[in-house]
Amino acid sequence: MKWQFERVAGPFQGPTGGLAWEGETLLFSVINEGKILRYDPRSGAVTEFRRYTNRTNGIALGKHGGLYGCQEGSRRIIEFRPDGSTAPTAWLLDGRYHNFPNNLCVDRGGRIWFSDPHSQVRASGPQIFPQLDHASVLRLERDERHAWKIKRVTCDTAAPRAVLLSPDERTLYVAEGDTGRDGPRELRAYPVRDDGSVGAYAVLHTFGSDHRGAHRGIEGMCLDSEGNIVACAGWKKSGVGPSIYVISASGTILETHPAPADMPMRCAFGDAGLDSLYLTTGEGHLYRAQGTGRRGSR
Amino acid sequence: MERPDIERLIARDAPMDRIAHGLTFGEGPLWSAREKCFYWVDIVGDTIWRWKPGRGCEVFIRPSNKANGLTFDRKGRLLVAGWSSRTVWRVEHDGSITTLAARYEGKKINSPNDIVVKSDGAIYFTDSPGALYNVGMQAEDLQQYLPFQGVFRISPDGKQLSLVIEDFVYPNGLAFAPDEKALYVNDSRLNVIRAFDVTAGGSVGAPRLFHKLEGSEEGVADGMKVDTQGNVYCTGPGGVHVIDPAGKRVGRIKFPDHCTNMAWGDDDWRSLYVTTRTSVYRTRVKIPGVPVVTEGGA
Repeated sequence: MKWQFERVAGPFQGPTGGLAWEGETLLFSVINEGKILRYDPRSGAVTEFRRYTNRTNGIALGKHGGLYGCQEGSRRIIEFRPDGSTAPTAWLLDGRYHNFPNNLCVDRGGRIWFSDPHSQVRASGPQIFPQLDHASVLRLERDERHAWKIKRVTCDTAAPRAVLLSPDERTLYVAEGDTGRDGPRELRAYPVRDDGSVGAYAVLHTFGSDHRGAHRGIEGMCLDSEGNIVACAGWKKSGVGPSIYVISASGTILETHPAPADMPMRCAFGDAGLDSLYLTTGEGHLYRAQGTGRRGSR
Repeated sequence: MERPDIERLIARDAPMDRIAHGLTFGEGPLWSAREKCFYWVDIVGDTIWRWKPGRGCEVFIRPSNKANGLTFDRKGRLLVAGWSSRTVWRVEHDGSITTLAARYEGKKINSPNDIVVKSDGAIYFTDSPGALYNVGMQAEDLQQYLPFQGVFRISPDGKQLSLVIEDFVYPNGLAFAPDEKALYVNDSRLNVIRAFDVTAGGSVGAPRLFHKLEGSEEGVADGMKVDTQGNVYCTGPGGVHVIDPAGKRVGRIKFPDHCTNMAWGDDDWRSLYVTTRTSVYRTRVKIPGVPVVTEGGA
């Protein structure tokens, strides 16, 4: 089944990033413009959800109507609250400022799992705080006094990008690897233990390289209603090009679709039947494929 | 001190005393003529400090809600550019705190950065958004509400907050010319100092470019003060830049660390106290600075 993508918004200045379906409308971030916008599929209108987001990329709905965001320009996870304010969570891992959060997901207990890769882009303000000597998946959770604290989840990643939990939250999927550095670009499945730590990972898919260079790995992913992983990856520079993959929980590639633009960034299901797939791109668009034959989870 | 002209202002062998160190981000230098002591802040360290010659350093207020610029009002009460509180606040003589500015037209202001008092008692402060974005300096509410970064004035009776200048990218240091006919305000992003004619009512006229800071070293336009002959001292690349009243650079005073702000001090107002990220230095100059005047004598 061929997916027909249509451009529903953009282009904006710089890439579009994180996506979150709210039930009736879609939120998406325009990273370099410092904005989160809202697309209404009924009217086609694009309105402003929030300004001054300081390069917020990944976004995810939390409990109580808040929206969590990876504020790369300030090296922290923040919460855009329904009253229009924006609250910090925590920003220190064992007393040190973490790196540049990129992608996140929220579990049923309200914990926030996020990737924390290194970045060459300067964060705002005086450059006082060095980056960590590791780039890991981290997790925000509440302590006994309800204050946010950060725990380290992975100890074997060097450039984590997309993060996603399986429907039963017993598996953490991590897209590891970036094209700008050595090392694998692969989709990993980490078993999540009862205490929240992770075990040894299985590799579900590996991206290769050819004479044109390394193949770009997964930058964004979401679940379908059957527990498959819908992932966007690739670029025009090498490999099969920008693509969307549907990958089973055991790593079988069920479908591949060409992406409508280069550098696909994130994808999320939306619309009334949750059977449309929305896609953001490095070129700064919002695309949608209706009638994908798959449905989003929840 | 690269040009002999500057020896008019400071001796080649001027002292360089380090009177405090171990700060994370020093700022807010202020001499109290009444108490004969020196105040400053550590923004990230969340403390207002005080130093008395011959006695040493002590904590004045901690936590400080990340206080930034300091000055005294005409009655000798400490005025604080409340960086993370997003307010301007005053320390009364009995130690209690009064908030002087928090909202403009119903919206929270950004994060007051530096502050100066005119001889008629009006308070002027810069309202850059650093506490909303900078790593390690975060406010409780990180949302920017005002669609500009400006300079505000609080009327001498403390009741009226008015917007004086709104077209800055990142307004930071501000100081009046000795005759108070001009207000100098710098912009840390553009590294320029602009001059504004001050009207009888306390508003200002059209801007003129006073000076563009040059240099490839670390350092930006941040703190700024004026001496009694109208020379403008401004932090910039490599140290403190000294600019004559016509806007021409006389020279630079180099410091061993990234300079953030400065204040005139001691009985003759011929000491220059300079905060850097990690330390406070004191040197001596030939021309007295414009005193911070309080009732009962400077």
